[in-house]
Amino acid sequence: LISGDLNLDSTLPSKLPPPPVFRSSAAPPPQGSPASRRARDDTMVGLSEGEKHFIRGGIAQDLRADGRRRLQFRALTVETGIIPQANGSARVRMGATEVIASVKAELGKPTILHPDKGKVSIYVDCSPTAAPMFEGRGSEELSAELSVGLQRCLLGGKSGAGAAIDLSSLIVVEGKACWDLYIDGLVVSSDGNLLDALAAAIKVALSDTGIPKVNVSLNNETDGEPEVDISDEEFLQFDTSGVPVIITLTKVGKHYIVDATSEEESQMSSAVSVSVNSHGQICGLTKRGGAGLDPSVIFDMISVAKNVSQRFYTLLESAFAAAEAVADE
Amino acid sequence: MSAETDETAAGGLAGEMEVEAYRRLFPLAFLERHLRESVRPDARRLAEARPTTVALGAVSSAHGSALVRLGDTAMLASIKLEVMSPPAETPDQGSVAVEFHMPPICSPLVRPGRPAEAAPVISKALEDVLMSSGMLNLKELCLISGKASWVAYLDVYCLNADGSLFDAALISVVAAFTHLEIPLVSVGDDGRVFTVGGNEGKTKYELVNREKRKLTLGDIPFPLTCALHKDSILADPTAEEESIIETSVTVVLDSSGRLVSIQKPGGGVTSMATIKACIGLAKERGQKLKEILTDSVEAMEVDQAE
Amino acid sequence: MSAAAAAADTYSPAAEAGSKRRERREELRRHLAEDADWPRADGRSLHDCRPAFMQTGPTTAASGSAYAEFGKTKVIVSVFGPRESKKAMLYSDTGRLNCSVSYTTFATGIRGQGLENKEYSGMLHKALEGAVMLHTFPKTTVDVFALVLESGGSDLPIIISCASLALADAGIMMYDLVTSVSVSCLGKNVIIDPTSDEEAWQDGGLMVSYMPARKEITQLTLTGEWTDGKITNAVELCMDACSKLCEILRERLKDPASLASE
Repeated sequence: LISGDLNLDSTLPSKLPPPPVFRSSAAPPPQGSPASRRARDDTMVGLSEGEKHFIRGGIAQDLRADGRRRLQFRALTVETGIIPQANGSARVRMGATEVIASVKAELGKPTILHPDKGKVSIYVDCSPTAAPMFEGRGSEELSAELSVGLQRCLLGGKSGAGAAIDLSSLIVVEGKACWDLYIDGLVVSSDGNLLDALAAAIKVALSDTGIPKVNVSLNNETDGEPEVDISDEEFLQFDTSGVPVIITLTKVGKHYIVDATSEEESQMSSAVSVSVNSHGQICGLTKRGGAGLDPSVIFDMISVAKNVSQRFYTLLESAFAAAEAVADE
Repeated sequence: MSAETDETAAGGLAGEMEVEAYRRLFPLAFLERHLRESVRPDARRLAEARPTTVALGAVSSAHGSALVRLGDTAMLASIKLEVMSPPAETPDQGSVAVEFHMPPICSPLVRPGRPAEAAPVISKALEDVLMSSGMLNLKELCLISGKASWVAYLDVYCLNADGSLFDAALISVVAAFTHLEIPLVSVGDDGRVFTVGGNEGKTKYELVNREKRKLTLGDIPFPLTCALHKDSILADPTAEEESIIETSVTVVLDSSGRLVSIQKPGGGVTSMATIKACIGLAKERGQKLKEILTDSVEAMEVDQAE
Repeated sequence: MSAAAAAADTYSPAAEAGSKRRERREELRRHLAEDADWPRADGRSLHDCRPAFMQTGPTTAASGSAYAEFGKTKVIVSVFGPRESKKAMLYSDTGRLNCSVSYTTFATGIRGQGLENKEYSGMLHKALEGAVMLHTFPKTTVDVFALVLESGGSDLPIIISCASLALADAGIMMYDLVTSVSVSCLGKNVIIDPTSDEEAWQDGGLMVSYMPARKEITQLTLTGEWTDGKITNAVELCMDACSKLCEILRERLKDPASLASE
C-alpha cells in the first residue's frame, strides 16, 4: 500500500522514528528567536557572528546545524480532515513549520470570457502567533508574496494550460453554473520554507476534498436557469495527480539547500522556488531574494529541484498514506 | 524670521554665495530681488504665462484624452464613457464624474497611501467650473430618454506638479472634451444597450447615435492663476513661486469673455484694482489658449490624415 | 511624452465582447500557436520586440524620472531620494528601496480603481534590489514610484526597465542597469514582448530581469507548463533582448540632449 517507505528513503536519517501524527513533544524553536526571511534584515534574526559562521560553514561542508545534509528534508507529518466545515483540509508540519490548508467549494457562475471553466482562488494568511514579526500588519507583505507565489505555481497560464486543477472539470452547466474553489492557507508556526509547506498542504487538502454530487434539471419556467440540486451524501473525489509540489532551493554561499529553516533563510543570498508536477515538468517558478544569479546557476537549480521533487513526492505520499491510515482507524 | 531681517542677512551674503545656495536658503529675498528688476527666476516677464502645449489623444484606451504641458507642469486628462440608466429627476441627461488625481510620481510631497490635500480641492473646483460654464450640454449625453444615457468618467492625472495645477487641469479637461468621440451604440433584443465596434458592426446593428459622435461645446472656460506678491502680479506661478507668495487669484473666463469663476483662497488682502488687472490678464490668456487649442485639433487632424 | 507618438494612436472602442470578434481572436490565436511564420496582429514576427521609446526626465519634480512607451504600453517612473525614511522604520545601516506601482483608472479597457498594484510593487522591488547599491545611502530611503498610463501588455517588464533608467537618471548608485523582457508561450511557439491580447491567450509566460554587464538574473518568474529545453531557450531569448534593450537605455543616458529635439 505504502509506495515509499520512510526507511527506504536513503536521505532520511534512520534514527528518526516514523513520524507520529501528534508530535507536541518535538521541540519547536524557542519563541524568542524571531525569524526573518530576508538577508538584508539579518540583524532581526538575532544571530551572532559565530552562529552565522556556523550555519554557513555547516552548509558548505554538507552538514547543517540540525544534522541534515543539503538536499535533505525535515521530518514531514500530515493530517487530513482537520476542519469539518471545509470540503477538504490538511495540516502539514515540516520540522517546526506548521501550515494548514482548507478547500471550500461553492456553486458560482462562470465568467463571460470563460463560460466553460470554474474558478479557483488561493489566499494565504499568516497567524500573528507564528512569529513575533507577524504581529499587527507585519505579515501582510509576506502573506501577499506567498499568495502570489502559490497562484503562479498552481493556477497555470492565462489559458489554463499547466494548471494544477483542470478548471473545466469544475463546470456544472456551461455558462450557468460552476464550482468555485476557495483555497485558504494559514501559517500557524513559521520556521522557514513556508511556500513548499503550503503547496504540500494544498496538495493534500485537495486529495482530501470531496465535491458534492449535483443533479441538474433544466427548468424552462425559470427562464432557462438550471436548477441545481446538491447531494449531501454522495461526493466526488478530486483528481490531484496534476497538482505540483514546490521545491525551494535556498542559496547560501556557493551551495543550495532544500527545506531551509528560518535561521538558514536569514543567511541566503537568493532563493528559487520551482513547482514541478508528477511528470517532471516545470509549471511555475519564482525567484526570491535580491542578489542576481548567473543564468547557468539558475538552470542548475532548476534541474536539481526537479530531481529532488521526485523524492519529495515519495515523502509526501507516504506521509499522506500514514495520515489516511490513522483516519481510518 | 521676518522678511526684513531675512533680506538684510541675505543681502549681506548675496555677494559671497553661489546662486543655487542663495535661492534655497533665502527664497523670499531671491524672488524679491528678481521682482525689483521686473523679471522672474525663470526669466519670464511678470505677466507672461509659461509655454503651453496640448496633445490630443494621448491615451488610446480612453474615448477622449489630452496631455497638457504648462511649462514643466504636465497634466493628463482622459474621458471614459459608460452607459447607465439616468436618474428619475433628469431622465434626458447624462452625467459627468470628475476626479483629479495626484499620484506619488508627480511630486516629492505625495506618498503612496497618503493622498495629497490639494487633490480634492482641485477636483471640486474643476467640477464647479465645468458645470457652471455651460460648455457641456448634458442633454447631449442622453441616448434614449429615461432608459439610457452616458456617464462620462473624467479622470485628470497630474504627472508633474510645478505650480498652477488647476489651470493645467482645466485646459486638459477642455482639450479632452474636444477630442472625445462617442462610441456607437445599439440596443439588443433584451433591451440592453451595448457599444458597437469594428466596421462589420456598423452595418449589422441598428445604431442609436450615428449622428452624435461629437459633443457640441458651448462657451469654453479658460483659466489663469495669478500670484500676488506685494505690488506685483505674477501670471501662471511655478511651484517655487507658489510656495513663497502671499496670495493668489484664479480667474476663469469663458470664450465670450464672461466671468465664470474667480477664486482667492485667503492669504493677504487685495485691492479691487489688482483683481481687475488679473481679469485683464486672464482675458489675454484666454485668447492665447483658444489658439493653442485650435492648433492642437488641426495638428491631430493632420496626423490622422497621414 | 512626445506629441507625435501620442497622437499616432487611433481611437478604439472599449468593451466589445461580440462573438464575431471572439471568433476572429480564436483564429488569430490558432495561427500564432501553430504557424511559425504567421505575423502577429501588429505585424511583428514572433521574436521581434515592439519599438522602444524611452526618455529621461519627464517629471522635473523628482530626483530622476523616465518615460517608456512600447506600443500601447505607456509608463512613467519617478525616483525620489535618497530621503528620510518613514518615522516608524528602525535604524538600518543600509538604505531602503521602496517601490510602488499603480495604474491610472483608464489604463485598461474596463475602468479601474486606480489603486496600487501590490503584486507588481513587490516584483519591482525584487527585480531592482539586487542592482542598487543600498550601502551607499545608509539610513535613508529611495522611493521608486511607477504609474502605468496605458496598459498594452508586458507591463511589468517595461516598468522594471523604465525604473532602472529612472534610478540611473536620479544618480542612484547601481551595479548595473536592469532590463526586463517577457515572453508568452502559445502552443509550440514562444513570442517575445507580448501585447495584452497575446498575454490573454497565453499558455504560459516567462519574465526575466537581467543585468547584462554582470550577466546576472535578478528576477525570474514563470507560469504555465514548461519543459527544460523550452525554459533554457526562452531565458536565452529574453537575455539577448535585455542586452539590446540595455543598449537603448545607455544611449538615452549618454545623450539626453537628443530629447530636446523631440
